[in-house]
Amino acid sequence: MPVTTSLARARRKVVFKRTPAALSSARMAIMENRATDLAVDEEVVSRMANPSVRGSRLPIDALYTSEPPIIDPLVTATSTAQDQTLDQCLPLLKAADCNIEYNANGVPRLHRERHIKYLETTIGNLPAPYVGADASRPWCIYWALNALSLLGADVSKFRESLIATATHMQNKTGGFGGGFGQTSHLATTYAMVLSLVIVGGESAYEVIDRRAMWKWLSSLKQPDGGFQMSLGGEVDVRGAYCAAVIISLLNIPLNLSSDSPASAAGLADLYTGLAGYVQRCQTFEGGISAKPDAEAHGHLMCHALSLGSPPANMPQKAAFLVARTSLSMVVTATGWVHAGPLIQASLRAPSQPAHDSGPQRESTPEFVSFYDREGLIRYIMSCGQDHSSKGGMRDKPSHRSDAYHTCYVLSGLTSAQHVVSAVLAEDEYVANMAWKVSPYSDPQLFDEQDRLNPTDPVYAIPQGKREEVMTYFLSKPGF
Amino acid sequence: MPPKNNKGGAKAKDSSAKQENDVAKTQTVFERAQAAYDLTRPPYDKEREELGGLHALSTVEKTAYANWFCTAPDELAFLSKKAQKELWKQVNETNRPLRRGQIDKPKPDQWGKDKLGRNIGDYTVQQYEQRIEKQGQLTCLKALGRSFASKRLYASKGLVDSSTGEVYTLTEEDIKAEKQRRREMAALKKDLYGEKMGPYSTDPEWDDVVPVPQMEPEGALAAIAYPEDYAESMSYLRAVMAANEYSPRCLKLTEHIISMNPAHYTVWLYRFANIQHLDIPLLDEIEWLNGVALDYLKNYQIWHHRQLLLEHYYPTIAGSPDEVKRFARSERAFIMAMFAEDAKNYHVWSYRQHLTRKLGMWENEEHGELDSIEGMIDDDVRNNSAWSHRFFLVFSNPRYATPDSHATEADPKVPAGIVDREIKYAQAKIKLAPQNQSPWNYLRGVLVKGGRELGSVQAFVEMYVQNIGNEETEQVHSSHALEQLADIYEEAGDKEKADLCWKRLGEKWDRIRLGYWEWKRRSLKAASS
Repeated sequence: MPVTTSLARARRKVVFKRTPAALSSARMAIMENRATDLAVDEEVVSRMANPSVRGSRLPIDALYTSEPPIIDPLVTATSTAQDQTLDQCLPLLKAADCNIEYNANGVPRLHRERHIKYLETTIGNLPAPYVGADASRPWCIYWALNALSLLGADVSKFRESLIATATHMQNKTGGFGGGFGQTSHLATTYAMVLSLVIVGGESAYEVIDRRAMWKWLSSLKQPDGGFQMSLGGEVDVRGAYCAAVIISLLNIPLNLSSDSPASAAGLADLYTGLAGYVQRCQTFEGGISAKPDAEAHGHLMCHALSLGSPPANMPQKAAFLVARTSLSMVVTATGWVHAGPLIQASLRAPSQPAHDSGPQRESTPEFVSFYDREGLIRYIMSCGQDHSSKGGMRDKPSHRSDAYHTCYVLSGLTSAQHVVSAVLAEDEYVANMAWKVSPYSDPQLFDEQDRLNPTDPVYAIPQGKREEVMTYFLSKPGF
Repeated sequence: MPPKNNKGGAKAKDSSAKQENDVAKTQTVFERAQAAYDLTRPPYDKEREELGGLHALSTVEKTAYANWFCTAPDELAFLSKKAQKELWKQVNETNRPLRRGQIDKPKPDQWGKDKLGRNIGDYTVQQYEQRIEKQGQLTCLKALGRSFASKRLYASKGLVDSSTGEVYTLTEEDIKAEKQRRREMAALKKDLYGEKMGPYSTDPEWDDVVPVPQMEPEGALAAIAYPEDYAESMSYLRAVMAANEYSPRCLKLTEHIISMNPAHYTVWLYRFANIQHLDIPLLDEIEWLNGVALDYLKNYQIWHHRQLLLEHYYPTIAGSPDEVKRFARSERAFIMAMFAEDAKNYHVWSYRQHLTRKLGMWENEEHGELDSIEGMIDDDVRNNSAWSHRFFLVFSNPRYATPDSHATEADPKVPAGIVDREIKYAQAKIKLAPQNQSPWNYLRGVLVKGGRELGSVQAFVEMYVQNIGNEETEQVHSSHALEQLADIYEEAGDKEKADLCWKRLGEKWDRIRLGYWEWKRRSLKAASS
């Protein structure tokens, strides 16, 4: 039966008995916050309107420091996991950790230098226990280079090493494997191509054997429109996304090679049936799954959106920052936000036709975001950062930082710091890839020195790199 | 027999010899060589060396030194006969040992270094003798190994042993002995030279394969300091893959590499190719795979491999419903074992969906799949993966569902009874925990599939939402119910009420999604203006 918040507390008491140490401080924090709940809002509003106010810390909106207004008393494995995460996060979100320096808005500083130092170690020489990453070294490289670029570090110093590494991992039959002598794989190829694009420059671009890449992509293309991840490998939405990114960045000819299985099945080109394949991955929840029949997953949503085929009924899920329904809160979800602006851009477009200011119009958002930017920024700065000397970003406070989370959490952060406006050319708003990224103009929670470089919402690389590589390959006729 | 007293004397002699021997054993190799060298030269030469030059010697010693120096055969040739005669006279008077030239002055590093970088010259004599002995053993083992290799070659060519008149054959014992020898050689090489011989280079079974080592370019990014075992097996993998070899030894090699790095997709794909070529019995592979899967819960490749196995195996059982059922049961048993560790493992759920389709596990009476899912939802009503599987199971059943009907479109072929059953099921689960989003999403999905209006469940939704907009009496027990109510109002064209619901969601009941609720409000306004 329906319950009220007071009943909700009863449930928390049950959990409280199980793990008293973990819960006591968080519970007290909630109590305090609820007491000041109403007084907070106005002050925050006035503070936000006048960013020059400094000095003593302003109260944080209870929205970010307390439980949601409705909680069911029923305890299950899922709710227990959610409660544990909440209890780790609340003290940090409340700016109650005395080891962390918070600004006047109760937001910690970005440990920029530490993150840079940490990321550089992740592409240096790795010790033996990293053997489990032997098939995903291009990923390690991409995560580090992308995150370093967002942090404003110089990545051009890695160009020569990257060229040597990439050359070594490229197969004559097209594509890049996870390492020397490994089978080419769409995921590792995607990561390596993006890495080369991030460091940029002709010598980096020219590492890629585009003719072999075209033949290989043709051989991966499936009769159902999707892509195999590798020859004999699985077919899923990731394949569709990775292939589309590679094809568009490198200006790969779309026609299929004669030995392609898709060609034999009568498909016209590399893109044929791709949007249909992705749409078949949409679930009853509105999200996108890895394969038809499976459960919706936030990560895959981004892939689908980035393909420019926003599925029907999408707004249903658009604002939900969870990986999967009822899965415990994870910061990884924030990384997917880089695609969030796309959702906005694509949804806003039809409702605000382009007649108001000429054929090319920048949409001026009346509201800032579908998701709660303040909540995201607070979560990332407080809970997503490893505040120790190690640096790096993490999933949640109980997890260790790693390159993967550092890359995607910083992508989420920069996305929350910048607004994407679609530059419309009638209905080709995503297809022609015209968009603009710029800082939000409203008062910021974070200090200006903690602003990251903007990211490209479709390609997940620093803003501007896409244009550079596309210009380069567009100027090259054929291979 | 020697007399008794002699015996005592001999004993004393023995012990003194032993003492000398002990000294010799604790002496280093260099010290021993130095001592031997010193025996070949007069004391004043040593003195000169130690004191740093001729100036430290007495006049007599200087003369003696000069004379001694000149007795070296090369020097003597330059002197006249008379001078030589005079020289020998003087030399005889100083009574110098006439052994010069037979031993060079030893250098401390002339024996080289051992695997730890230590000068072998600093070894004690005893240690040195042990080392020499090991080197001798190694040489013998190598010689035996060479004769094994010759025998294997002759056997492969069918040659006849002229001494016995029989065809050369390589017995199991020969191979066993060679393996033992290789192990001993590997141990000796490691001990003497620090040379590592991994399990493949010491296995005669792999003699025909030339490993392809990984040569990292200078300054490679994210380069891993591979453990030796891993580096060696990968070198052999590259070699056999390049040769397109499919054999039991390759299968074993993939197993070994997977045990060190289960995320290595290349190895998995190659393993499957081996299984296909060798026609490995499925159940053997599945049994091995189960162990690996339980060891590496988050691994993706394991589940793709299992799917490939299923595709490969299914045609062999497709004709027998009983076998299909048995296989379905055993697969589900393992899936449930995985869920006991992590009930939301995405890869396992994807595999379950694939399995359900492939084996046609749609009918509950036959396969009990729906019961199994209900059990999981009973365990954790918030397990969205289980809800998702249920939706697939109910609405993709080929007995009644339209093939390829999209998940978000109505399917008129689904019987009304099934739609009613699912609505009731979702509602019953909502009652357990109204703020649980999974059954709400499910309910909405069912209504869409069934082509029903959202408004058909208005009464149910209103159980969780009362007096919206009335500050005093407003009650919301589920924000999902409020959202659904808004959509019901929108569907019915009651825009004001819909707008109020979204407004209240943004203001109070689901503030974190304010941006989304505001967008809904604006869209509705834009649509009506």
